[in-house]
Amino acid sequence: MVSLTPDAVSCAGLAVGYGRPSLAGLDLAVAPGETVALLGSSGSGKTTLLNGIAGFVAPLAGEIWLAGAVASAPGRCLPPERRRIGMVFQDHALWPHLSVLDTVAYPLRRAGASKAAAHKGAQAILEQLNLSSLAQRRPGQLSGGEQQRVGLARALACQPAVYLFDEPTAHLDASLRAAIGEEVARRRHADGAAAIYATHDAAEALALADRVAVLHSGRLAQLASPADVYAEPDDLTVARLTGPLSILDAPITPAAPGKSTITIGPTQTTVPSTTAPAPAGPTPAASAVLVRPDWARLERSLDGSGALPGTITEIRFRGPHTDYYVATPAGTVLIREAGPPHADCGPVRWSLLRARLMPREHQR
Amino acid sequence: MRAATEAKSAAKAAAAAKTTAAKAAVAKAAAAKAAAAKAAAVALVVGLIAALVAVPLVSLARIAAGAGPTGIWRALSGPQARVAILHTVAVAATVTVLAVAAGTALALAIERRPGRRRLALRLGVAGPLVIPEFVLGFAWSQAYGPAGLSDRLAGLTMPGLFGPAGIIAVLTVYGLPLAYLAVTAGLAARADPALERAARSAGAGRWTVLRTVTLPLLRVPLLAAAALVFVTAAGSFAVPQVLGTPAGFATMPTLVYNDLAFSASSAAFTGLTVVALALVVLVLLALGPLDLWLARLRPSARPESPLTASTARTAVDHVVTVIVCAYAAFAAAIPMLTLVLTALTRGPGLLPVPANWTLANFGAGFSGGGGVALLRSAGLALAAAILAPLLGAAVAGLARGRWRGPVATGVTLAYAIPGSALAVGIIIGYGRWLDGSVTIIGLAYVAKFWVFGHRPVQAALDRLPPGLTRAARLSGARPATAVRTVVLPPLRVAMLTAAGLVFILAFHELTMSTILYGPGTETFAVVIMNQQDLGGVGATAALAVVLTAPVVAVGALATWLTHRSSRSARRPPITPIFRNDRGLTYPRRR
Amino acid sequence: MRLHRTLTAPFLLVAALAAVTACGSSTGPADSAGSTSPELTLYTSVTQNTVTAVLNGFDKLHPGTTIHVFRATTGQLNARIAADQHSGGLRADVIWGTDPLSMESYAQQGLFQRWPLPNLTGVPPQDKTTYFWGTRELYLVIVAHKGLTPMPATWADLASPAYKGKVALPDPAAAGSAFAALGYFATAPGFGMNFYDKLKANGAVQVSTIPEVVTDVAQGRYQLGITLDSEVRAAIAEGSPVVLDWPADGAISLYSPIAETTAAKGAAGSAAQTLLRYVLSVPGQTAIGKTGWQPVLPGIAGPARPAGSKEVYPAWTTLFGRQTQILQQYQSIFGA
Repeated sequence: MVSLTPDAVSCAGLAVGYGRPSLAGLDLAVAPGETVALLGSSGSGKTTLLNGIAGFVAPLAGEIWLAGAVASAPGRCLPPERRRIGMVFQDHALWPHLSVLDTVAYPLRRAGASKAAAHKGAQAILEQLNLSSLAQRRPGQLSGGEQQRVGLARALACQPAVYLFDEPTAHLDASLRAAIGEEVARRRHADGAAAIYATHDAAEALALADRVAVLHSGRLAQLASPADVYAEPDDLTVARLTGPLSILDAPITPAAPGKSTITIGPTQTTVPSTTAPAPAGPTPAASAVLVRPDWARLERSLDGSGALPGTITEIRFRGPHTDYYVATPAGTVLIREAGPPHADCGPVRWSLLRARLMPREHQR
Repeated sequence: MRAATEAKSAAKAAAAAKTTAAKAAVAKAAAAKAAAAKAAAVALVVGLIAALVAVPLVSLARIAAGAGPTGIWRALSGPQARVAILHTVAVAATVTVLAVAAGTALALAIERRPGRRRLALRLGVAGPLVIPEFVLGFAWSQAYGPAGLSDRLAGLTMPGLFGPAGIIAVLTVYGLPLAYLAVTAGLAARADPALERAARSAGAGRWTVLRTVTLPLLRVPLLAAAALVFVTAAGSFAVPQVLGTPAGFATMPTLVYNDLAFSASSAAFTGLTVVALALVVLVLLALGPLDLWLARLRPSARPESPLTASTARTAVDHVVTVIVCAYAAFAAAIPMLTLVLTALTRGPGLLPVPANWTLANFGAGFSGGGGVALLRSAGLALAAAILAPLLGAAVAGLARGRWRGPVATGVTLAYAIPGSALAVGIIIGYGRWLDGSVTIIGLAYVAKFWVFGHRPVQAALDRLPPGLTRAARLSGARPATAVRTVVLPPLRVAMLTAAGLVFILAFHELTMSTILYGPGTETFAVVIMNQQDLGGVGATAALAVVLTAPVVAVGALATWLTHRSSRSARRPPITPIFRNDRGLTYPRRR
Repeated sequence: MRLHRTLTAPFLLVAALAAVTACGSSTGPADSAGSTSPELTLYTSVTQNTVTAVLNGFDKLHPGTTIHVFRATTGQLNARIAADQHSGGLRADVIWGTDPLSMESYAQQGLFQRWPLPNLTGVPPQDKTTYFWGTRELYLVIVAHKGLTPMPATWADLASPAYKGKVALPDPAAAGSAFAALGYFATAPGFGMNFYDKLKANGAVQVSTIPEVVTDVAQGRYQLGITLDSEVRAAIAEGSPVVLDWPADGAISLYSPIAETTAAKGAAGSAAQTLLRYVLSVPGQTAIGKTGWQPVLPGIAGPARPAGSKEVYPAWTTLFGRQTQILQQYQSIFGA
């Protein structure tokens, strides 16, 4: 089927890096209006990839296409100022010698507007983001959250086809993070631009993105919807990157299709399970069992069939939910339940609702 | 029983009261100690400035005042003085504009591209600084003047070499390294590459980024560089003497020197003191407001960001390398080569071919105790190189807030006074006690070159993140230990650079040494000066070569040291391990 | 920091070495022989080798006198003397200068005692005043590039059109010896400041110092110039292509005076007089002659002169006090 509109960003066989490639063999397509989160820990190449898409670094191999035209190829690079890209930086990158109004007006001036017109346009953007009162301040006089919103306003002024966010909330507290996330979503729904959002925070990525691209070991490990990347990670590293987890070391036997029997200590339990694709090479002898915190449940009474034995060793109250660390013969399980703590440390019964079987990783 | 409880509670109350009183006393003592420490700091800064700057200036001012207001007016309004003032201002302003523009352009071109060649390029640009001023002027006249090397080889002479054009050219070559070094430091401190990337992603092309982001951010280092170059050019004596006097082009320092040579009468001496002080006033007017404004700016506490590799632009790299090589050759290498050839040639006017070569000129220089004087110069220069950065750091650290501006200007004033006048001021101020000793020469060096130990260290200090000393104090360090272990190490690079520069300048300082030396305390430059009347250009050239060679060695050493220090500081920090709760980690695979 | 420690030790060693050297050495030819030996301070602008030769000879005849020498160009010397006066008084016992005009300034400031040895014979009357007597004569001559045709015969030839743009003049503000030429021409009949007008119109150029005239002529920048005879002889000895042209109407002679200061008292005073006596004695004058200067006493060998050569003397007493005026007139022609 022929797509009628070209992808906003499309990478084919891309390798980026400074000298040695930080990422290689990357194939990624971002449709117009779509948000793709780049999820990975520091050093996994997120910033390098964003710099490549923005045109600051020429690719070592492969190509980058923007809106259906080649933008980057080895040896050929459309300059950044000719790409319709708006970038929001991790350290804000606000110019210390320009006021907030001048900063937001800067892209409009570069696009050819007169000083007065640019100021008017900048004023409008500032009003949209409730930043009008800060128009004459310098970056040094703004708080972290205000600086980041000014950075966002500047990116908006570029009227880009693609937004690149480089961990914009890394230095902000939770409430600001939420506010900026909302802001971002609102803006993009208004103008239908695509967005690539780099972050190391799984919760943020899962919340904002239409699809999540998980980066580790110098490659794109998995590209899938947030639900899939959370519930069905392809390998243990992706699993660790996309949310809290527990790994159980227990013998498994397949039961009915889509179900497996897991033996934990003296008890067995049969649960719906999915299996991660095995990596190339000889099949490992045993699999590990991935259990997300919401895939297990504490039983209120101490008897009950199908309930597994365990001991609560630690309880942490998080506000909306409580984390219980349950020691079992197969390893420690993190169980998350809504509400304040309702149990004490000590023996407890718990049940497994679902699991995912992961191949064991080779130890390096 | 109740009595016992009562007694116990009474004792407890008494103990509590005693503790409170003791605490109050301790607090009061601490406050008194802090106030005393602050007073001591103020006294130290004021004392240093008084001893090194105020005493000579006041001595000169008293002489000048002896002329009365009419005498002062007459000294300044005579045709000679008026012309000299005009020339000084014009030359200094032109040199400042040229050196800062060229230095900035070269710094932007060279410092942006990390690479092995960067050190070589830096040396090519900053190299001329290690050549003594009078050697540079003299070497240029031998290389590009009439009957010089280029004239013999190709019939080409530099037009206007003897006159304002030549003076401006040589002083620009001499001042360009100062501007270059200042802008480089500013780039490291202020030019975050993310700011330029933000501008590029906002639609600005390369030149627009330069105009709207990079250069405005460099405003402060540019102004600081301009100030230093202006003072250096205004106070320069040797170059206008060699290149200007033959054309009748006088500046204030040469006027002071030449009039001093001509007339021994005290009326003339007073008049000259007035001119010398006028130069100080000129510098004060130029520098004072600038320093005040610079000090009012809140210092940026941005840590030095590593310059990441930008897209490779090899064509531009090659052009820059060619330009720097051509510049280094023209400005320094060819003149020095000419000087060596002149030193080897038997007599003036003979062709510098091997048939006419001799080492006798070198021997002549060492006959009059030159060897010992060389060692003495090295020792004095070393002492000055150690003291100037330390005193500069002390004053930079102790003078905070809005006093930074006036203190910076004060320190610079001693540098601005023409050497002969400063020497006279020092003799008048300290001659009774220190006359004829090595100490008075060392004092003069420290006073004159203090500025190079102060300004760069002040700039580096401003860039340190606040709270360093507080963190050290909380970790148990006493104030002095905190300063020594936490504040001084990051200043290492700045202090090393300053020490190297002061060594070079002190080693080949000429004007003050020839007035201040006493029996048995000649410096090497004095030996040269005394020989100059004797032998001709050959002996002078030989001694100039011998004077420059150790300085080149020390300059190279200092450059290598700072390159190593800054390279180790730029290595990426150790990446932290992310920990989530109880070790259910996102482990780092490295 | 480690790097600093490895370098600190050698640095301190060098510094200590320099300090020891500085304290222990002296360029004076006489070593200190104990606290009772007389000490003498000499300020001079005479060339280093001549001072060394004379003081070495003095030391042979009068061992045990410590002489501290401060040697600098006239300008630095003036600065030092002025600074001394403002900080407790002149510290020199003897001043040995290179031209009469600066010495006269010192005399007028009351720095000198009356000449203490009026009974010495041999010094020509034009080479002495009440306060200071001359020790040697210097001659301003013409230096010409080898092979220059025609060779100038008299001073007036310098203004001839044959040498247009080829004449180098020393800066009279730079050295007393250079001023002697200006002083002579300014007051001599037949020359006057007119002579300088003619020179300027003929394209003569002022260079900065007396030695530089020789260098420039040797290098071919100019073809002839006015300079001191000693400079020309030294260049010829090195093989430079220059020729000493003694003007037929007489070289301009100036003398290098010596005087005892009012600061010389007691033992230093008598030591000063001993030195003065030595410098004007046969061995002292011989030493001066050997270093290439013309001694002032008759009969002592000096550097070779052409047969029948004459010298002329500027009218020093007329010039005393008119220097600034004459210099200003000159500078209005040639620039400062």
